[in-house]
Amino acid sequence: MLRKYLFVLVLIMCLESVAEDGEVKITAEDIIRTMTETLNPKQSDALMEMTIMTSSNQERTFVYKAYSKNKGEKSLMKYLEPGRVKGQTVLMLNNADDIWMYFPRTNRVRKLATHAKRQKVQGSDFSYEDMGSSDEFIDDYSSILIGEEQKNEKLCYKLELTKKENSGAGYSRLVMWVEKETYVPYVISYYHEKDSNLLEKELFLSDVEIIDDIPTPMKMVMYNRLDNTKTSMSTKEVAYDVDLPDNLFTEMGMKK
Amino acid sequence: MRSKASSLTLVVFVFILSLLLVPDFYAEELDLFGYFEPQFIFIYREGESYQMNSDKLRVDLKRSVGGVEFGSDLIYTLYYGKKNWNILDFFSDEIRSEVPAGMQSYFLFSFNDTLYLDNTYVKMSNSRVSCTFGKQQFSPGTGYFSNPVDVFNSKDALDPTYEQTGHNGARMDIMFSSRTNLMFLYSPIEGDWTNSGKLLRFKIGLSHFDFTLSGYEFREQLTDFYSLSVINQRRRLVGCEFVGQLFGLGVWGEGAYNFLEESDDFYEFLVGTDYTFESGFYFLLEYHRNERGRTSYQDYDINDWLRFYLGENKTISRDQMYGMVSYPITDLINLQILSIFCINDGSAAIVPVIDYNIFENVDLNIMGNIYTGSEGKVYNSKLGNGVVIRARVYF
Repeated sequence: MLRKYLFVLVLIMCLESVAEDGEVKITAEDIIRTMTETLNPKQSDALMEMTIMTSSNQERTFVYKAYSKNKGEKSLMKYLEPGRVKGQTVLMLNNADDIWMYFPRTNRVRKLATHAKRQKVQGSDFSYEDMGSSDEFIDDYSSILIGEEQKNEKLCYKLELTKKENSGAGYSRLVMWVEKETYVPYVISYYHEKDSNLLEKELFLSDVEIIDDIPTPMKMVMYNRLDNTKTSMSTKEVAYDVDLPDNLFTEMGMKK
Repeated sequence: MRSKASSLTLVVFVFILSLLLVPDFYAEELDLFGYFEPQFIFIYREGESYQMNSDKLRVDLKRSVGGVEFGSDLIYTLYYGKKNWNILDFFSDEIRSEVPAGMQSYFLFSFNDTLYLDNTYVKMSNSRVSCTFGKQQFSPGTGYFSNPVDVFNSKDALDPTYEQTGHNGARMDIMFSSRTNLMFLYSPIEGDWTNSGKLLRFKIGLSHFDFTLSGYEFREQLTDFYSLSVINQRRRLVGCEFVGQLFGLGVWGEGAYNFLEESDDFYEFLVGTDYTFESGFYFLLEYHRNERGRTSYQDYDINDWLRFYLGENKTISRDQMYGMVSYPITDLINLQILSIFCINDGSAAIVPVIDYNIFENVDLNIMGNIYTGSEGKVYNSKLGNGVVIRARVYF
């Protein structure tokens, strides 16, 4: 874990120093890569709470355990509350290119195709794609650095990411503000797949804490600007210095 | 004499109860959950309307100690409204006329209140092997509306995701790698080893696909309703399944070839596809062929109808198409339309469904059913059109 943190730190320092010298400018790809590293630690074990605020102002709250491994390449979500979804488990492998769902009442595992990534997670404003794909910013989008801007009193890099031609990503372009100091994205704007000027969603990350040497946004709020709904996600507990067994991310692991 | 299956259930249940009753066992929390489900059914057929309602309570107990999990659930269902029916009333005059007057009373049935252990099992597992003993959920197959490789359950195609009752057995799962595993199930249905059910399944994941091969041997009971006798024969099934994606579409399929001791061998298969659009609109389509089904509705006889209703045969006709479209109208309301089309006789059933998560732990489900076929066809209007209103309150 320490080695991973040092790697990120050294990478950030190198990028900064080179930029200050004025010889080589930091590129959008460098920022995205470092941000992806920061957001996707090698392993994580978290207790999360997700609250959906519907357009009719009703709230729905879900509590789940979230595990990830190989920098988010494997992830597993197990619902603890409420009772109607208790025990349901979602396994995502290959950066959410392969998704399985487990339903405890029928003891049945169902494999979902990639298009299911567009489906909302429990009716929230997060899709499976938003939740499980750790490398989507690198693989599915080409990025440019627009400049630097103050956002939420933090100095941020402003980037624009455009969907690559053969990518299966669900958005046409993204605009994001990544804090220079921690490489945590403070705001991400998601634009509609069919209309690159239509703002579909906005994600705000806040309350960054350093846990196991990793900058961790403890709160995330996704606003759906088309449906006028929002979903907030807060991290109740998280640990990165853990050793998660590989068999957790299997069909057998889903049923445990 | 009590069968081996019910003895196994009883032994596992008593074992779980005895463990739960050990005082130290309460030191850690016992998970208690379940739901209450009132259901109202309105049926309109041949100018008459009927109500048949039920109240169902399911209570689940679960407890894990180390690598051992104990689980049990009890279901208590009360029926009220019209509880007594004669199944012959739903059949065509031609089918009814095949039954001698003196035997018509054999076809009366009642919905009586029930209390039973739906599942009760002990599961022991380590990192690679898992063993489950007792009455447990088991539902193989990749199909949504029907599963040719599943000889344990009989899905209601009008309500295909409704939970099924558990099955007695001793099951072992061995994981060789993250996407490769082997499963063996011994189901002591009756008698000895030879006559009991034995199932072997091998599953492997390759690229974005999962493939499964299975072999199953068990004794099948097929009723002859003309002579009111039972054909008890050995059935061997060889099956395969796949699920994955092709050109962006979800694709799956399953097929089974059945070798029968006395009757003719037969095959059954199902293929399906689905897709989710950006808007959230979702569609699913399946084609199902069952060689045991009839190709012409003029050949349907009382055995076909009753074997279908009793779950002895999965379909009456040979070829059917299933379709489903769904769209989330709001974050809490989902609209679905299910359609089942019998290719052989041209009849169809259309089932509009509204799912509404009315409160945090309360789901409301309203289902209609409309049969379009004329008398004698699989989905004929004589079956009665109706509405099911089902609420489920979880605790």
